[in-house]
Amino acid sequence: MKADRKIIHVPSLARVEGEGGIFIEIRHGAPTQVHVTIHEAPRFFEAFLIGRPHEDVPDFTARICGICPVAYQMSSVHALEKIFGIQVEKPLRDLRRLLYCAEWIESHALHMYLLNGPDFYGLNSAWESKNEQSILARGVRFKKLGNELLAVLGGRSVHPVSVRVGGFTRTPSKKALLSLAPKLETAYEESLKEISWAASLPFPETAWDTVWVSLVHDEEYPMNEGTMGFSTGETFSMDAFLETVIEFQVSHSTALHAGRIRDGSQTPYMVGPLSRLNLNHAKLPTAIQSALKDAGISVPIRNTRMAIVARAVELAYAFYEALRIIADYEEPDRAFVPYEPVEGEAVWITEAPRGSLMHRYRVGSTGRIESCTIIPPTSQNLAHMEMDLRLFLESFASEPTDVLRREAEKIIRCYDPCISCAVHVISLI
Amino acid sequence: MKKPRLGIFKLTSCDGCQLTVLNLEDDLVRLVDLFEMAYFPEAMDKPLRGTLDLALVEGSVSVPRQRNTIVEIRERSRHLIAMGSCATSGGLQALRNWANLASYKASTYPSPQAVQALSTSTPISEHVHVDYELYGCPITTQALSETLVAFLLGRRPMLRGYSVCMECKRHGIPCLLVSQGQPCLGPVTRAGCEALCPSLERPCYGCFGPKEDANVDGLLAWFEKMGLNARECQALLDKMNTYTFRKARLESRS
Ligand code: SF4
Ligand code: SF4
Repeated sequence: MKADRKIIHVPSLARVEGEGGIFIEIRHGAPTQVHVTIHEAPRFFEAFLIGRPHEDVPDFTARICGICPVAYQMSSVHALEKIFGIQVEKPLRDLRRLLYCAEWIESHALHMYLLNGPDFYGLNSAWESKNEQSILARGVRFKKLGNELLAVLGGRSVHPVSVRVGGFTRTPSKKALLSLAPKLETAYEESLKEISWAASLPFPETAWDTVWVSLVHDEEYPMNEGTMGFSTGETFSMDAFLETVIEFQVSHSTALHAGRIRDGSQTPYMVGPLSRLNLNHAKLPTAIQSALKDAGISVPIRNTRMAIVARAVELAYAFYEALRIIADYEEPDRAFVPYEPVEGEAVWITEAPRGSLMHRYRVGSTGRIESCTIIPPTSQNLAHMEMDLRLFLESFASEPTDVLRREAEKIIRCYDPCISCAVHVISLI
Repeated sequence: MKKPRLGIFKLTSCDGCQLTVLNLEDDLVRLVDLFEMAYFPEAMDKPLRGTLDLALVEGSVSVPRQRNTIVEIRERSRHLIAMGSCATSGGLQALRNWANLASYKASTYPSPQAVQALSTSTPISEHVHVDYELYGCPITTQALSETLVAFLLGRRPMLRGYSVCMECKRHGIPCLLVSQGQPCLGPVTRAGCEALCPSLERPCYGCFGPKEDANVDGLLAWFEKMGLNARECQALLDKMNTYTFRKARLESRS
């Protein structure tokens, strides 16, 4: 008897950052193996940071990922400032938030219009069909503006150079920021319409209650500060969060997986824009809340394929928030807070475009790094992606292999997995 | 006329130089008009077929399979351009070249024996012939456009052989080294960024790699006179171009 066995193998996923694939085995109509395979080469960041002067950390960790270097710089400098007891003044805090807005714009626009979007209108690349060129043009316009804002603050968009422990090497003039305001204003208006565009894409029917995790903050939509919130209602300090999750190595991936420890076993959870939106919807300005409602979307969004809607919301929010910060900005007296490095250890989490990014450093008395742990959002999501695929396969396993393969790829792309990031993780000591 | 077929590849890297291709923004649409985009997995779901006129390669060779990959890319491509510090110098991950791989693995993974990696991370030019190198971590969109235009016109791209210092002078930026005593790598670093860091009041940290005939040893001797110890001097070189800076230093000694 011929065994009823289907294999779906995508050696290399396209339209994601970095190198990863999918391996699925279905036997007798049920998924037996569901693997997101990560074969990105290890770069050993945590290893070569040991012994380096702490000042190198933001430049080094930025190189983990060219798509979200700011996130790496932000989690790094905050963790180090916590160790050294540095409090930055309001204008510097605001500028960091502005830098994050710029990265959200650039990264979300890239994902929405060049990587994930084409899945919904059936293209292999954003430029494949002349019919959809206007969508690409809109996306490129947003992305370009994100890059311009990044460059005003950090000199360039990939691996900005002005971020340092204590603040910035140089802060921008009010005039330089204001010169971007008119363009941001227009982009904000346009981005509100993109929410209904994203909401109108053809999503497959699927809904499930999973555990959404992101930073939460009393006053604002979270970026650089807050506590870790779970959709189950609990919150944890950044340090305590590390004790509620576990990282583990699996044989099919050079990136570690993560899960939440519950009753002695680990369960997947999800970080990213969808989690952020679901947990922080109330902190959005009313205009954006209304745009979402008018688009027919109610929160929480329980369909993981609709992450693109959450990105559209955050794209609009990033423009809104950038404008607010620029309007309030007063040039600070100093670009950074001077400090003396001291021995210590700290954890910090910030919200990268793809979700919560955790850094932990231990610094010795001479200001050098003694140990560090980096847990990027994509590696936290890997186990959740596999669960998402499994749920899909349980209902649709009888479909032809090529249909399943295409759908599986689309499911993974909704997470905007950043595989270059995912690979730089270390076991928790 | 037939459009040249372009392929964009990645080895070990952060994706930042490939992102620079997408960051061409308005020119991106022109790029996909002027070239036939034959392979670019970061942005296109299309398998690699046939031969290429031009391959742009990001990343260093750092795991066993990449030694074959880069030979395959070379065999398929009429021209090959290495993009960025990873591809031209081994990147930040080349810091392992001076360390013990086993201890690197052990400090990063719970089951280190399952992790495949070479003990070195090396530039592409150590494995195959490279027609042209684009420096920087990341490369700039300007240099990329210039190179692609030059390719289309069949001429050499304009390469700056001089140092970042020349760009500081041109932009009227006060010298951080002379006037403030800050350890700046500008004198030995290749130009191309328009003196970005000095313009933001920080010393150059060498992301474009060593310029031609850089007197690295001479500059470090100067830093030592300023009060830096040997370890601090070495740490300045050991960044995203550690491999080529260490080589340039040895050359400047002889
Ligand atoms: S050279 Fe720099 S920007 Fe380019 S891929 Fe390597 S780490 Fe990324
Ligand atoms: S000044 Fe130096 S470190 Fe800064 S961008 Fe230019 S080459 Fe890179």
